[in-house]
Amino acid sequence: MKYNKFIESSLRGTLSFLRASVFSDGYALEKGFLQSIDPRINLLTVIIFLVTALFTRNMVVVLCLYGVCLALASLSRINLGFFLKRTWIFIPLFSLFIAIPALFNIITPGDELAGFTIGGVSLAITRQGLSGAALFVARVITSVSFVVLLSLTTRHFALLKVLRVFRIPKVFVMVLGISYRYIYLFIEIIENTYLAIKSRAGGEIPRKQGRHIVAGNIASLWLRSYRMNEAVYGAMVARGYDGEPVLANDFKTKTRDWVWLSLVLVAVLVLFYFSAQGRFGSI
Amino acid sequence: MHIPDGYLGPTTCGFFYVVMLPIWAFASRIVKKTLDAKQVPLLAIGAAFSFMIMMFNVPIPGGTTGHAVGGVLVAILLGPWAACIAITVALVVQALLFGDGGITAVGANCFNMAFVLPFTGYYIYKAIGYNAPCDSTRRVIAAGIAGYCALNIAAGLTGFEFGIQPLLHKTANGQALYCPYGLNVALPVMLGEHLLVFGWVEAIVTALVVKYLLKQAPELFAEKGGYPCK
Repeated sequence: MKYNKFIESSLRGTLSFLRASVFSDGYALEKGFLQSIDPRINLLTVIIFLVTALFTRNMVVVLCLYGVCLALASLSRINLGFFLKRTWIFIPLFSLFIAIPALFNIITPGDELAGFTIGGVSLAITRQGLSGAALFVARVITSVSFVVLLSLTTRHFALLKVLRVFRIPKVFVMVLGISYRYIYLFIEIIENTYLAIKSRAGGEIPRKQGRHIVAGNIASLWLRSYRMNEAVYGAMVARGYDGEPVLANDFKTKTRDWVWLSLVLVAVLVLFYFSAQGRFGSI
Repeated sequence: MHIPDGYLGPTTCGFFYVVMLPIWAFASRIVKKTLDAKQVPLLAIGAAFSFMIMMFNVPIPGGTTGHAVGGVLVAILLGPWAACIAITVALVVQALLFGDGGITAVGANCFNMAFVLPFTGYYIYKAIGYNAPCDSTRRVIAAGIAGYCALNIAAGLTGFEFGIQPLLHKTANGQALYCPYGLNVALPVMLGEHLLVFGWVEAIVTALVVKYLLKQAPELFAEKGGYPCK
Protein backbone atom coordinates (compact mmCIF):
# COMPACT_ATOMS: atom_id res chain seq x y z
CA MET A 1 0.00 0.00 0.00
CA LYS A 2 1.42 3.33 -1.06
CA TYR A 3 -0.36 5.57 1.43
CA ASN A 4 0.63 5.88 5.06
CA LYS A 5 3.60 3.63 4.64
CA PHE A 6 4.79 4.34 8.16
CA ILE A 7 1.65 2.74 9.58
CA GLU A 8 2.04 -0.29 7.33
CA SER A 9 5.75 -0.69 8.16
CA SER A 10 5.12 -0.45 11.89
CA LEU A 11 2.29 -2.98 11.68
CA ARG A 12 4.53 -5.27 9.62
CA GLY A 13 7.22 -4.93 12.30
CA THR A 14 4.85 -5.97 15.08
CA LEU A 15 3.54 -8.82 12.95
CA SER A 16 7.01 -10.15 12.18
CA PHE A 17 7.90 -10.02 15.87
CA LEU A 18 4.81 -12.02 16.81
CA ARG A 19 5.39 -14.44 13.94
CA ALA A 20 9.01 -14.98 15.01
CA SER A 21 7.92 -15.65 18.59
CA VAL A 22 5.12 -18.02 17.61
CA PHE A 23 7.37 -19.95 15.19
CA SER A 24 10.20 -20.24 17.66
CA ASP A 25 7.93 -21.42 20.44
CA GLY A 26 6.41 -23.93 18.03
CA TYR A 27 9.82 -25.36 17.10
CA ALA A 28 11.10 -25.19 20.70
CA LEU A 29 8.28 -27.53 21.73
CA GLU A 30 9.14 -30.13 19.04
CA LYS A 31 10.88 -33.32 20.20
CA GLY A 32 14.09 -32.72 18.24
CA PHE A 33 17.74 -33.10 19.16
CA LEU A 34 18.63 -29.61 20.39
CA GLN A 35 15.28 -29.26 22.14
CA SER A 36 16.22 -32.23 24.32
CA ILE A 37 19.47 -30.55 25.42
CA ASP A 38 19.57 -28.43 28.58
CA PRO A 39 19.17 -24.77 27.50
CA ARG A 40 22.37 -23.84 29.37
CA ILE A 41 24.40 -26.41 27.42
CA ASN A 42 22.62 -25.34 24.25
CA LEU A 43 23.67 -21.72 24.74
CA LEU A 44 27.20 -22.74 25.71
CA THR A 45 27.69 -24.92 22.63
CA VAL A 46 26.34 -22.22 20.31
CA ILE A 47 28.78 -19.74 21.86
CA ILE A 48 31.61 -22.25 21.28
CA PHE A 49 30.58 -22.54 17.63
CA LEU A 50 30.32 -18.75 17.29
CA VAL A 51 33.74 -18.18 18.82
CA THR A 52 35.23 -20.85 16.54
CA ALA A 53 33.65 -19.15 13.52
CA LEU A 54 34.99 -15.83 14.77
CA PHE A 55 38.57 -16.99 15.29
CA THR A 56 39.12 -19.20 12.27
CA ARG A 57 40.89 -17.84 9.21
CA ASN A 58 40.02 -20.85 7.13
CA MET A 59 37.06 -21.06 4.74
CA VAL A 60 36.84 -24.87 5.06
CA VAL A 61 36.40 -24.59 8.84
CA VAL A 62 33.61 -22.02 8.39
CA LEU A 63 31.89 -24.23 5.80
CA CYS A 64 32.22 -27.27 8.12
CA LEU A 65 30.56 -25.25 10.88
CA TYR A 66 27.78 -24.17 8.52
CA GLY A 67 27.24 -27.83 7.56
CA VAL A 68 27.06 -28.78 11.25
CA CYS A 69 24.52 -26.00 11.80
CA LEU A 70 22.28 -27.21 8.94
CA ALA A 71 22.58 -30.82 10.15
CA LEU A 72 21.62 -29.74 13.69
CA ALA A 73 18.64 -27.78 12.32
CA SER A 74 17.51 -30.87 10.45
CA LEU A 75 18.01 -33.12 13.53
CA SER A 76 15.98 -30.62 15.53
CA ARG A 77 13.06 -31.06 13.12
CA ILE A 78 13.28 -27.57 11.68
CA ASN A 79 12.07 -27.24 8.12
CA LEU A 80 15.24 -26.51 6.13
CA GLY A 81 13.48 -24.25 3.63
CA PHE A 82 12.09 -22.16 6.46
CA PHE A 83 15.47 -22.15 8.22
CA LEU A 84 17.37 -21.03 5.11
CA LYS A 85 14.85 -18.28 4.41
CA ARG A 86 14.90 -17.13 8.02
CA THR A 87 18.71 -17.06 8.20
CA TRP A 88 19.58 -15.58 4.79
CA ILE A 89 17.11 -12.71 5.08
CA PHE A 90 18.25 -10.03 6.01
CA ILE A 91 21.81 -9.73 7.37
CA PRO A 92 23.67 -12.29 5.19
CA LEU A 93 22.02 -11.03 1.98
CA PHE A 94 22.90 -7.49 2.97
CA SER A 95 26.48 -8.61 3.71
CA LEU A 96 26.65 -10.34 0.33
CA PHE A 97 25.53 -7.11 -1.31
CA ILE A 98 28.04 -4.91 0.52
CA ALA A 99 30.86 -7.43 -0.08
CA ILE A 100 30.60 -7.02 -3.88
CA PRO A 101 32.77 -3.86 -4.20
CA ALA A 102 35.44 -5.57 -2.06
CA LEU A 103 35.94 -8.11 -4.86
CA PHE A 104 37.60 -5.46 -7.03
CA ASN A 105 41.10 -4.09 -7.06
CA ILE A 106 39.91 -0.58 -6.11
CA ILE A 107 39.17 -1.90 -2.59
CA THR A 108 41.31 -5.05 -2.40
CA PRO A 109 44.44 -4.91 -4.53
CA GLY A 110 46.10 -8.24 -5.35
CA ASP A 111 46.44 -10.98 -7.97
CA GLU A 112 44.02 -10.21 -10.78
CA LEU A 113 41.62 -13.00 -11.79
CA ALA A 114 39.39 -11.22 -14.32
CA GLY A 115 39.53 -7.69 -15.64
CA PHE A 116 37.06 -5.47 -17.55
CA THR A 117 36.37 -1.84 -18.31
CA ILE A 118 33.19 0.02 -17.32
CA GLY A 119 32.77 3.60 -18.60
CA GLY A 120 36.47 4.00 -19.19
CA VAL A 121 37.43 2.72 -15.73
CA SER A 122 39.30 -0.56 -15.75
CA LEU A 123 38.34 -2.90 -12.93
CA ALA A 124 39.62 -6.32 -11.95
CA ILE A 125 38.42 -9.00 -9.55
CA THR A 126 41.32 -10.03 -7.36
CA ARG A 127 42.03 -13.39 -5.71
CA GLN A 128 42.37 -11.67 -2.33
CA GLY A 129 39.12 -9.75 -2.85
CA LEU A 130 37.21 -12.87 -3.83
CA SER A 131 38.46 -15.05 -0.98
CA GLY A 132 38.11 -12.22 1.57
CA ALA A 133 34.50 -11.49 0.52
CA ALA A 134 33.62 -15.21 0.45
CA LEU A 135 35.06 -15.75 3.93
CA PHE A 136 33.27 -12.66 5.22
CA VAL A 137 29.85 -13.73 3.90
CA ALA A 138 30.36 -17.37 4.98
CA ARG A 139 31.32 -16.26 8.48
CA VAL A 140 28.28 -13.99 8.73
CA ILE A 141 25.77 -16.61 7.50
CA THR A 142 27.26 -19.29 9.77
CA SER A 143 27.10 -17.05 12.84
CA VAL A 144 23.58 -15.82 12.08
CA SER A 145 22.43 -19.42 11.46
CA PHE A 146 23.73 -20.62 14.83
CA VAL A 147 21.98 -17.78 16.67
CA VAL A 148 18.71 -18.40 14.82
CA LEU A 149 19.08 -22.13 15.54
CA LEU A 150 19.48 -21.35 19.23
CA SER A 151 16.49 -19.05 19.35
CA LEU A 152 14.33 -21.58 17.45
CA THR A 153 15.18 -24.60 19.58
CA THR A 154 15.06 -22.97 23.01
CA ARG A 155 12.04 -21.29 24.50
CA HIS A 156 12.71 -17.57 24.65
CA PHE A 157 11.92 -17.26 28.31
CA ALA A 158 14.27 -20.15 29.18
CA LEU A 159 16.99 -18.63 27.01
CA LEU A 160 16.90 -15.38 28.96
CA LYS A 161 17.00 -17.26 32.25
CA VAL A 162 20.10 -19.28 31.34
CA LEU A 163 22.18 -16.11 31.20
CA ARG A 164 22.75 -16.77 34.90
CA VAL A 165 25.33 -19.34 33.82
CA PHE A 166 27.60 -16.44 32.94
CA ARG A 167 27.29 -14.94 36.42
CA ILE A 168 25.39 -11.97 35.09
CA PRO A 169 23.99 -9.96 38.03
CA LYS A 170 20.54 -11.17 39.06
CA VAL A 171 19.07 -7.73 38.49
CA PHE A 172 19.98 -7.98 34.77
CA VAL A 173 18.38 -11.42 34.46
CA MET A 174 15.25 -10.25 36.26
CA VAL A 175 15.02 -7.11 34.13
CA LEU A 176 15.44 -9.28 31.01
CA GLY A 177 12.56 -11.51 32.06
CA ILE A 178 10.19 -8.66 32.90
CA SER A 179 11.11 -6.62 29.83
CA TYR A 180 10.42 -9.58 27.55
CA ARG A 181 6.85 -9.74 28.91
CA TYR A 182 6.55 -5.99 28.49
CA ILE A 183 7.56 -6.24 24.84
CA TYR A 184 4.50 -8.43 24.22
CA LEU A 185 2.28 -5.92 25.97
CA PHE A 186 3.78 -3.00 24.04
CA ILE A 187 3.41 -4.86 20.76
CA GLU A 188 -0.27 -5.32 21.48
CA ILE A 189 -0.70 -1.64 22.36
CA ILE A 190 1.08 -0.49 19.17
CA GLU A 191 -0.84 -2.89 16.99
CA ASN A 192 -4.21 -1.78 18.36
CA THR A 193 -3.32 1.92 18.20
CA TYR A 194 -2.03 1.74 14.63
CA LEU A 195 -4.98 -0.31 13.47
CA ALA A 196 -7.25 2.34 14.99
CA ILE A 197 -5.33 5.14 13.23
CA LYS A 198 -5.39 3.21 9.96
CA SER A 199 -9.13 2.64 10.13
CA ARG A 200 -9.81 6.30 10.89
CA ALA A 201 -7.45 7.81 8.31
CA GLY A 202 -9.46 8.29 5.16
CA GLY A 203 -6.66 9.47 2.88
CA GLU A 204 -2.94 9.92 2.97
CA ILE A 205 -1.54 11.37 6.19
CA PRO A 206 0.95 14.20 5.44
CA ARG A 207 4.55 13.38 6.45
CA LYS A 208 4.69 16.11 9.10
CA GLN A 209 1.49 14.91 10.72
CA GLY A 210 2.76 11.36 10.44
CA ARG A 211 5.85 12.25 12.44
CA HIS A 212 3.66 13.84 15.13
CA ILE A 213 1.51 10.72 15.25
CA VAL A 214 4.58 8.52 15.74
CA ALA A 215 6.07 10.78 18.42
CA GLY A 216 2.72 11.06 20.21
CA ASN A 217 2.41 7.29 20.22
CA ILE A 218 5.92 6.75 21.56
CA ALA A 219 5.26 9.31 24.30
CA SER A 220 1.89 7.87 25.24
CA LEU A 221 3.39 4.37 25.28
CA TRP A 222 5.94 5.62 27.79
CA LEU A 223 3.27 7.35 29.89
CA ARG A 224 1.00 4.32 29.99
CA SER A 225 3.77 1.94 30.92
CA TYR A 226 5.32 4.36 33.41
CA ARG A 227 2.03 4.63 35.24
CA MET A 228 1.80 0.84 35.26
CA ASN A 229 5.12 0.63 37.09
CA GLU A 230 3.53 0.83 40.53
CA ALA A 231 0.99 -1.88 39.72
CA VAL A 232 3.77 -4.17 38.50
CA TYR A 233 5.77 -3.52 41.65
CA GLY A 234 2.63 -4.28 43.73
CA ALA A 235 2.24 -7.58 41.86
CA MET A 236 5.90 -8.43 42.51
CA VAL A 237 5.52 -7.71 46.23
CA ALA A 238 2.36 -9.81 46.34
CA ARG A 239 4.40 -12.70 44.95
CA GLY A 240 7.10 -12.38 47.58
CA TYR A 241 9.55 -9.84 46.13
CA ASP A 242 11.47 -8.15 48.95
CA GLY A 243 13.99 -6.08 47.03
CA GLU A 244 16.30 -8.98 46.17
CA PRO A 245 15.53 -10.91 43.00
CA VAL A 246 15.11 -14.67 43.55
CA LEU A 247 15.32 -16.83 40.45
CA ALA A 248 13.98 -20.38 40.44
CA ASN A 249 16.52 -22.90 39.17
CA ASP A 250 14.52 -25.42 37.18
CA PHE A 251 17.21 -26.59 34.76
CA LYS A 252 18.60 -30.11 34.96
CA THR A 253 21.62 -31.42 33.09
CA LYS A 254 21.64 -35.06 32.03
CA THR A 255 24.53 -37.25 30.89
CA ARG A 256 23.64 -36.67 27.24
CA ASP A 257 24.06 -32.90 27.76
CA TRP A 258 27.63 -33.39 28.99
CA VAL A 259 28.35 -35.88 26.18
CA TRP A 260 27.11 -33.31 23.64
CA LEU A 261 29.21 -30.54 25.16
CA SER A 262 32.32 -32.76 25.14
CA LEU A 263 31.66 -33.79 21.55
CA VAL A 264 31.40 -30.15 20.48
CA LEU A 265 34.61 -29.25 22.27
CA VAL A 266 36.48 -32.18 20.71
CA ALA A 267 35.12 -31.39 17.23
CA VAL A 268 36.15 -27.75 17.53
CA LEU A 269 39.64 -28.66 18.76
CA VAL A 270 40.04 -31.13 15.87
CA LEU A 271 38.97 -28.43 13.40
CA PHE A 272 41.50 -25.99 14.83
CA TYR A 273 44.23 -28.67 14.85
CA PHE A 274 43.72 -29.62 11.21
CA SER A 275 43.47 -25.98 10.24
CA ALA A 276 46.76 -25.19 12.03
CA GLN A 277 48.39 -28.20 10.35
CA GLY A 278 47.37 -26.79 6.99
CA ARG A 279 45.24 -29.86 6.13
CA PHE A 280 42.47 -27.64 4.78
CA GLY A 281 44.77 -25.73 2.46
CA SER A 282 45.44 -22.02 2.61
CA ILE A 283 41.93 -20.85 1.66
CA MET B 1 23.88 0.38 13.60
CA HIS B 2 23.65 -3.12 15.08
CA ILE B 3 26.94 -4.84 14.25
CA PRO B 4 26.30 -8.49 13.29
CA ASP B 5 28.61 -11.43 14.08
CA GLY B 6 31.46 -11.77 11.60
CA TYR B 7 32.01 -8.06 10.93
CA LEU B 8 34.47 -7.47 13.77
CA GLY B 9 37.52 -9.56 14.55
CA PRO B 10 38.15 -11.29 17.89
CA THR B 11 40.47 -8.51 19.13
CA THR B 12 37.81 -5.82 18.71
CA CYS B 13 35.02 -8.01 20.11
CA GLY B 14 37.12 -8.98 23.14
CA PHE B 15 38.30 -5.40 23.69
CA PHE B 16 34.75 -4.05 23.88
CA TYR B 17 33.60 -6.82 26.22
CA VAL B 18 36.50 -5.92 28.52
CA VAL B 19 35.63 -2.21 28.28
CA MET B 20 31.93 -2.81 28.95
CA LEU B 21 32.34 -5.13 31.97
CA PRO B 22 33.27 -2.38 34.47
CA ILE B 23 30.70 -0.03 32.88
CA TRP B 24 27.93 -2.62 33.39
CA ALA B 25 29.12 -3.31 36.95
CA PHE B 26 29.26 0.40 37.75
CA ALA B 27 25.87 1.03 36.11
CA SER B 28 24.18 -1.69 38.18
CA ARG B 29 25.78 -0.30 41.37
CA ILE B 30 24.70 3.27 40.59
CA VAL B 31 21.20 2.21 39.62
CA LYS B 32 20.83 0.08 42.77
CA LYS B 33 21.83 3.10 44.82
CA THR B 34 19.67 5.70 43.08
CA LEU B 35 16.53 3.77 42.17
CA ASP B 36 14.39 2.51 45.04
CA ALA B 37 12.93 -1.00 44.94
CA LYS B 38 9.66 0.36 43.57
CA GLN B 39 11.41 1.53 40.43
CA VAL B 40 13.00 -1.79 39.50
CA PRO B 41 10.20 -2.58 37.02
CA LEU B 42 10.99 0.80 35.48
CA LEU B 43 14.29 -0.58 34.21
CA ALA B 44 12.43 -3.40 32.50
CA ILE B 45 9.95 -0.89 31.07
CA GLY B 46 12.89 1.18 29.81
CA ALA B 47 14.43 -1.90 28.19
CA ALA B 48 11.20 -2.91 26.49
CA PHE B 49 10.62 0.71 25.51
CA SER B 50 14.03 1.06 23.84
CA PHE B 51 13.34 -2.23 22.02
CA MET B 52 9.99 -0.87 20.84
CA ILE B 53 11.20 2.57 19.68
CA MET B 54 13.01 0.82 16.83
CA MET B 55 9.69 -0.65 15.73
CA PHE B 56 8.08 2.76 15.17
CA ASN B 57 8.63 3.69 11.55
CA VAL B 58 8.80 7.40 10.91
CA PRO B 59 7.83 8.87 7.51
CA ILE B 60 10.85 10.55 5.87
CA PRO B 61 11.17 12.42 2.56
CA GLY B 62 11.24 10.25 -0.55
CA GLY B 63 8.20 8.20 0.46
CA THR B 64 10.21 5.85 2.60
CA THR B 65 10.44 5.27 6.36
CA GLY B 66 13.21 5.05 8.94
CA HIS B 67 13.36 4.31 12.63
CA ALA B 68 15.03 5.95 15.60
CA VAL B 69 17.33 4.18 18.07
CA GLY B 70 15.92 6.09 21.03
CA GLY B 71 19.05 5.88 23.20
CA VAL B 72 19.06 9.58 24.00
CA LEU B 73 15.34 9.60 24.72
CA VAL B 74 15.69 6.76 27.23
CA ALA B 75 18.66 8.57 28.82
CA ILE B 76 16.65 11.78 29.19
CA LEU B 77 13.77 9.84 30.75
CA LEU B 78 15.69 7.46 33.02
CA GLY B 79 19.13 9.02 33.44
CA PRO B 80 22.23 7.77 31.59
CA TRP B 81 23.17 4.89 33.93
CA ALA B 82 19.70 3.37 34.01
CA ALA B 83 19.52 3.90 30.24
CA CYS B 84 22.80 2.00 29.89
CA ILE B 85 21.25 -1.04 31.62
CA ALA B 86 17.93 -0.71 29.79
CA ILE B 87 19.53 -0.45 26.33
CA THR B 88 21.97 -3.28 27.12
CA VAL B 89 19.02 -5.52 28.00
CA ALA B 90 17.22 -4.50 24.80
CA LEU B 91 20.36 -5.25 22.73
CA VAL B 92 20.82 -8.65 24.40
CA VAL B 93 17.18 -9.57 23.70
CA GLN B 94 17.62 -8.48 20.07
CA ALA B 95 20.88 -10.40 19.63
CA LEU B 96 19.85 -13.56 21.41
CA LEU B 97 16.26 -13.96 20.33
CA PHE B 98 16.02 -12.19 16.99
CA GLY B 99 19.54 -12.33 15.56
CA ASP B 100 19.59 -8.53 15.33
CA GLY B 101 23.19 -7.64 16.19
CA GLY B 102 25.75 -10.33 16.87
CA ILE B 103 26.36 -12.15 20.15
CA THR B 104 30.14 -11.81 19.78
CA ALA B 105 29.57 -8.12 19.00
CA VAL B 106 27.34 -7.43 22.03
CA GLY B 107 30.23 -5.66 23.77
CA ALA B 108 30.85 -3.34 20.81
CA ASN B 109 27.14 -2.73 20.19
CA CYS B 110 26.59 -1.92 23.86
CA PHE B 111 29.57 0.43 23.88
CA ASN B 112 28.18 2.35 20.89
CA MET B 113 24.48 2.30 21.67
CA ALA B 114 24.17 1.69 25.43
CA PHE B 115 27.13 3.79 26.58
CA VAL B 116 28.32 6.42 24.08
CA LEU B 117 24.87 7.19 22.64
CA PRO B 118 22.95 7.78 25.91
CA PHE B 119 25.82 9.47 27.73
CA THR B 120 26.79 11.95 25.02
CA GLY B 121 23.14 12.63 24.26
CA TYR B 122 22.22 13.11 27.90
CA TYR B 123 25.04 15.56 28.59
CA ILE B 124 24.45 17.54 25.38
CA TYR B 125 20.76 17.79 26.35
CA LYS B 126 21.73 18.84 29.86
CA ALA B 127 24.26 21.44 28.66
CA ILE B 128 21.92 23.09 26.13
CA GLY B 129 18.76 22.80 28.24
CA TYR B 130 20.53 23.87 31.43
CA ASN B 131 18.10 25.49 33.88
CA ALA B 132 15.43 25.89 31.20
CA PRO B 133 11.86 25.91 32.53
CA CYS B 134 9.57 23.03 31.62
CA ASP B 135 7.62 24.95 28.99
CA SER B 136 10.75 26.26 27.31
CA THR B 137 11.35 25.30 23.69
CA ARG B 138 15.07 25.27 24.54
CA ARG B 139 14.52 21.85 26.14
CA VAL B 140 12.87 20.52 22.98
CA ILE B 141 15.63 21.92 20.77
CA ALA B 142 18.23 20.53 23.20
CA ALA B 143 16.65 17.07 22.92
CA GLY B 144 16.70 17.25 19.10
CA ILE B 145 20.33 18.41 18.94
CA ALA B 146 21.32 15.78 21.51
CA GLY B 147 19.61 13.04 19.48
CA TYR B 148 21.25 14.16 16.24
CA CYS B 149 24.78 14.62 17.63
CA ALA B 150 24.83 11.51 19.82
CA LEU B 151 23.57 9.25 17.02
CA ASN B 152 26.23 10.58 14.66
CA ILE B 153 28.97 10.15 17.24
CA ALA B 154 27.84 6.55 17.79
CA ALA B 155 27.62 5.98 14.03
CA GLY B 156 31.10 7.43 13.53
CA LEU B 157 32.39 5.09 16.21
CA THR B 158 30.73 2.11 14.52
CA GLY B 159 32.30 3.16 11.22
CA PHE B 160 35.67 3.42 12.96
CA GLU B 161 35.28 -0.10 14.41
CA PHE B 162 34.47 -1.45 10.93
CA GLY B 163 37.28 0.55 9.34
CA ILE B 164 40.07 -0.72 11.59
CA GLN B 165 39.33 -4.38 10.77
CA PRO B 166 41.51 -4.52 7.61
CA LEU B 167 44.31 -2.92 9.64
CA LEU B 168 44.02 -5.43 12.48
CA HIS B 169 43.22 -8.61 10.58
CA LYS B 170 44.71 -9.34 7.20
CA THR B 171 46.51 -12.36 5.76
CA ALA B 172 50.07 -12.04 4.48
CA ASN B 173 48.82 -11.75 0.88
CA GLY B 174 46.44 -8.89 1.70
CA GLN B 175 43.15 -10.78 2.10
CA ALA B 176 40.70 -9.18 4.56
CA LEU B 177 39.38 -11.53 7.24
CA TYR B 178 36.47 -9.53 8.62
CA CYS B 179 34.83 -6.28 7.44
CA PRO B 180 36.75 -5.67 4.18
CA TYR B 181 36.46 -1.87 4.12
CA GLY B 182 39.07 0.42 5.61
CA LEU B 183 38.51 3.73 7.40
CA ASN B 184 38.46 5.63 4.09
CA VAL B 185 35.25 3.79 3.08
CA ALA B 186 33.57 2.64 6.32
CA LEU B 187 33.73 5.97 8.14
CA PRO B 188 32.24 8.20 5.39
CA VAL B 189 29.54 5.62 4.58
CA MET B 190 28.41 5.22 8.19
CA LEU B 191 28.62 8.94 8.91
CA GLY B 192 27.06 9.97 5.60
CA GLU B 193 23.83 8.00 6.00
CA HIS B 194 23.45 9.06 9.64
CA LEU B 195 24.30 12.72 9.05
CA LEU B 196 21.88 12.90 6.13
CA VAL B 197 18.99 10.61 7.13
CA PHE B 198 18.96 8.67 10.39
CA GLY B 199 20.36 11.51 12.52
CA TRP B 200 17.38 13.65 11.53
CA VAL B 201 14.95 10.85 12.32
CA GLU B 202 16.55 10.51 15.75
CA ALA B 203 16.46 14.28 16.29
CA ILE B 204 12.81 14.63 15.28
CA VAL B 205 11.62 11.65 17.34
CA THR B 206 13.61 12.68 20.44
CA ALA B 207 12.49 16.32 20.24
CA LEU B 208 8.81 15.58 19.55
CA VAL B 209 8.52 12.94 22.28
CA VAL B 210 10.23 15.24 24.82
CA LYS B 211 7.91 18.08 23.72
CA TYR B 212 4.86 15.88 24.17
CA LEU B 213 5.98 14.58 27.57
CA LEU B 214 6.94 18.06 28.83
CA LYS B 215 3.41 19.18 28.03
CA GLN B 216 1.50 16.12 29.21
CA ALA B 217 3.59 14.85 32.12
CA PRO B 218 6.25 17.35 33.25
CA GLU B 219 6.38 15.54 36.61
CA LEU B 220 8.28 12.72 34.86
CA PHE B 221 11.23 15.06 34.43
CA ALA B 222 11.40 15.59 38.18
CA GLU B 223 11.97 11.88 38.86
CA LYS B 224 15.30 10.75 40.23
CA GLY B 225 16.68 9.41 36.97
CA GLY B 226 15.52 12.20 34.65
CA TYR B 227 16.55 15.79 34.34
CA PRO B 228 14.22 17.76 36.66
CA CYS B 229 12.00 20.62 35.51
CA LYS B 230 12.87 23.92 37.13
